[in-house]
Amino acid sequence: MANDPLTARGAQRILDRALRDGGLYADVFCERRSTVQMRLQEGAIHEAGLAQTLGAGVRVVVGESAGYAYTEDLTEERLIEAAGRAAAIARLTAEGSARAARLDSLDRARDALYDRARTENAAPALFAALLERADIAARANEPRVVAVNAHIVDEVQELWIARSDGSFRFDRRPMVTLGVQCIARAGRERGTGYCADGGRTSIGFFDSTTPEELAREAARVAAVNLDARPAPAGEFETLIGAGGGGVLLHEAVGHGLEGDFNRRGVSLYSGRIGERVASECVTIYDDGDLPEERGSASFDDEGTTCGHTVLVERGVLRGYLHDELNARLMGMRSTGNGRRQSFRHLPEPRMCNTYMPPGEAPLDEMIASVRDGIYAKSFAGGQVDIGKGDFVFMIAEGYRIERGRLGAAVKNATIVGNGPDAMTKVTAVGNDARLARRHYTCGKGGQYVPVGVGMPTLKVSAMSLGGTEGA
Amino acid sequence: MREEEARDRAKRAVEIAVTAGASDAEARIVLARRFNAQARGERITKLDASDGRSLSMRLFLDGRKATLAGTHWSDEDIRAGVSAALEQARYAGVDPYAGLPDPSEIADRQLDLYDENVERRGDDERLDDVRDVERSIRAADARIDNSNGSSYHDACVTMALANSRGALRSYRGTQVALSASPVASEGAYRRTAHYGDASRFLSRLEAPGALAREAVRRTVLFCGASKPPTQTTAIVFDREVAAALLGDLFAACNASNVAVGNSWLAGRIGERIGSDSLEIHDDGTIPGALGSSPFDDEGVPTQRTTVFERGTLRSFLFDTYYARRLGARSTGNASGGGIGPNTFFLAPGERTLEALVAATTRGILVMETIGFATEHASGLYSRGARGIMIRDGELAEPIEEFTIAAPFPEILAGIDAVANDLKFDGSIASPSFRVAEMQVSGSLSAP
Repeated sequence: MANDPLTARGAQRILDRALRDGGLYADVFCERRSTVQMRLQEGAIHEAGLAQTLGAGVRVVVGESAGYAYTEDLTEERLIEAAGRAAAIARLTAEGSARAARLDSLDRARDALYDRARTENAAPALFAALLERADIAARANEPRVVAVNAHIVDEVQELWIARSDGSFRFDRRPMVTLGVQCIARAGRERGTGYCADGGRTSIGFFDSTTPEELAREAARVAAVNLDARPAPAGEFETLIGAGGGGVLLHEAVGHGLEGDFNRRGVSLYSGRIGERVASECVTIYDDGDLPEERGSASFDDEGTTCGHTVLVERGVLRGYLHDELNARLMGMRSTGNGRRQSFRHLPEPRMCNTYMPPGEAPLDEMIASVRDGIYAKSFAGGQVDIGKGDFVFMIAEGYRIERGRLGAAVKNATIVGNGPDAMTKVTAVGNDARLARRHYTCGKGGQYVPVGVGMPTLKVSAMSLGGTEGA
Repeated sequence: MREEEARDRAKRAVEIAVTAGASDAEARIVLARRFNAQARGERITKLDASDGRSLSMRLFLDGRKATLAGTHWSDEDIRAGVSAALEQARYAGVDPYAGLPDPSEIADRQLDLYDENVERRGDDERLDDVRDVERSIRAADARIDNSNGSSYHDACVTMALANSRGALRSYRGTQVALSASPVASEGAYRRTAHYGDASRFLSRLEAPGALAREAVRRTVLFCGASKPPTQTTAIVFDREVAAALLGDLFAACNASNVAVGNSWLAGRIGERIGSDSLEIHDDGTIPGALGSSPFDDEGVPTQRTTVFERGTLRSFLFDTYYARRLGARSTGNASGGGIGPNTFFLAPGERTLEALVAATTRGILVMETIGFATEHASGLYSRGARGIMIRDGELAEPIEEFTIAAPFPEILAGIDAVANDLKFDGSIASPSFRVAEMQVSGSLSAP
């Protein structure tokens, strides 16, 4: 790609202007992103798309306040103007003053969690071939599949972050995703299955995790859901599936530990570090430092190195997820979780990859231990209320368990629970911990960022299943 | 950049694409001046004022289609982007339905969507509004002891569209929004609700004090809430959750989902699906509504489309492509490269929500739902919910941590009363309504 749109000398002048009217801290976030997408419908490439964006935002921080302005016009004149608009917050609060330190020369070096050398999107011919293979495999495998929709996205994001403490860093983050949706039909009944994978890598990833594998899995789930019976309503002993079941940790615990909510004291976990918040078998980490995971980065969107954060250790709350602003206000250090969707957004504390290490229970023993319950094997997503901790997640593939045996599939339904309550009711942890296939995206305050989740199978003694069949 | 300049740039982008070999091209430019502020306690905690721009193009190459989106539009930038996008288009299948709208479908019309008072607002006035909301939530009820921040947003947006069949059009619109997120402590928990209003015109926006009081009412209402037993009962959907449910229904009416089999409504035009009360329209022509615009993202004039008429499914919602593919006409719903609502709404009834509750012997007034749609294909609805028990026509105790579920056809057929509280505050809007019976999943014990 072309040369750096932001130089140390230019960034220095922008930061100087940003702090001229006051303020404690300022930064410039400059981002170039090139995304190629292709969609397949009815056996043919339906659409190909290319998006190329370049822009920068200037932030000024005073106390708990942040001023921001972005521009897609990267002339120094416009950037200085944006710095002046961001500085309005300092003129408003009139407290704190700092000077921008002399910027280091651009730091490009960092041990790579992913391939930082790829500067271009892959050739369109390769995308088309992968999608066509997925389509053929999905139909070949399950005759009741009536529609296959597949998409591939390949992205190269480059960022330059200059901070008033003198740090000036560059990273190049790749991302690729291949997703297959299958719809199976018999009469008026329909069942959907979705499977996707990828990560911070290149399309070479699909040499080992093949489009056929993803397509067969999507077709299998579509057929399972087509044959599924209506889910029951009521409270059940529930097994949460390994891998994608990590959505439970993300919703039930992770969001409630984000630093902004806790600094404001609006999370039910506020002020509870050191307290027991889960059963003793529960340990939860967030890690931005795992190779090729969607939530990983050499450094976060504030230029702070990502690391490993212990959130819950043997049931005890150990830490929050922080960006720079909230960490400073709470007298803590940023955990490298300051993330943003793009240069058009302010950073906020967000999860990277949230997971639980393995326990000891084998899956078959866990199933055998349930008299009348549900095995929620995979999920389509979830949502949480931070203050109360009530969360939901939507089953994408689930089964009844009756007298210790896996029974019929149940139709898609919502599970509802309360974070600390559910975590206290974890009675067994499987030995089958793994990270989920890489396709999850998290939304908060209108901003979407890629994340990872992972978990062993968990047994929860009671959760409410939102089925349609009365007990 | 002014409206005229945006039109010139869009026109120029189309010329460049055609010169580069596109058989047809369309360019859309959006300029937006946005202002966002958040207040918490005594402080302004966020202030974001930016002028943004974007260019989106659709390129056609003998029946193949590619899209191009970007932030840069010098002749040189556009030439490079178009050439890369056309290279990609070569891998797309030849599709006889792909193409621009017929020039006869593009007509000129203006709608009043622009409020000078929004554009002319000074920063002080804007900040006063959001400070006022933040102060008012704390004054409204002693139980409010914290805030997630009150927000003000406004935007002045210019949209210009040109295509290689001679279309060249533009319009301007304003938006202004205010919201609050009060917090009440209750033991280890924090009760919080988010409530706001949005409009194209400043004069129609709910006043800060009234908005703050409604946000607080919705927050403290749930203090002391318990988990209800599993049961089947009548459900009254408050207008905000009613609109969320309509959003899921919109997905099933979206022709791009219908065409690929991802809708439980596929193949059911003319069928009676809902009760007599199910009267749903999509309308892009309502004066001053947030969802209104003179033309959609392909330049096709917006219209009023009847989707359900007294319970019978009459039409899906189309852009040009899916209309051709499914043998219909565009309903003016092209949006951001796909299909979106203009204002998709349920027609209001006659009585107030209070009267509707009073006429409900036993049921639940659902005020909040969480979870999102995954069931456009199967038509199953299942959500986490929070609400208030109704006993003998009176609002009783608050309840939470339960789910409500039913197949969509049963929900629509079960709508037996609709209130009169419709408000066009989003592109999907609904009055409150009642469904005769739904499955509620809560605690183990039977009622």
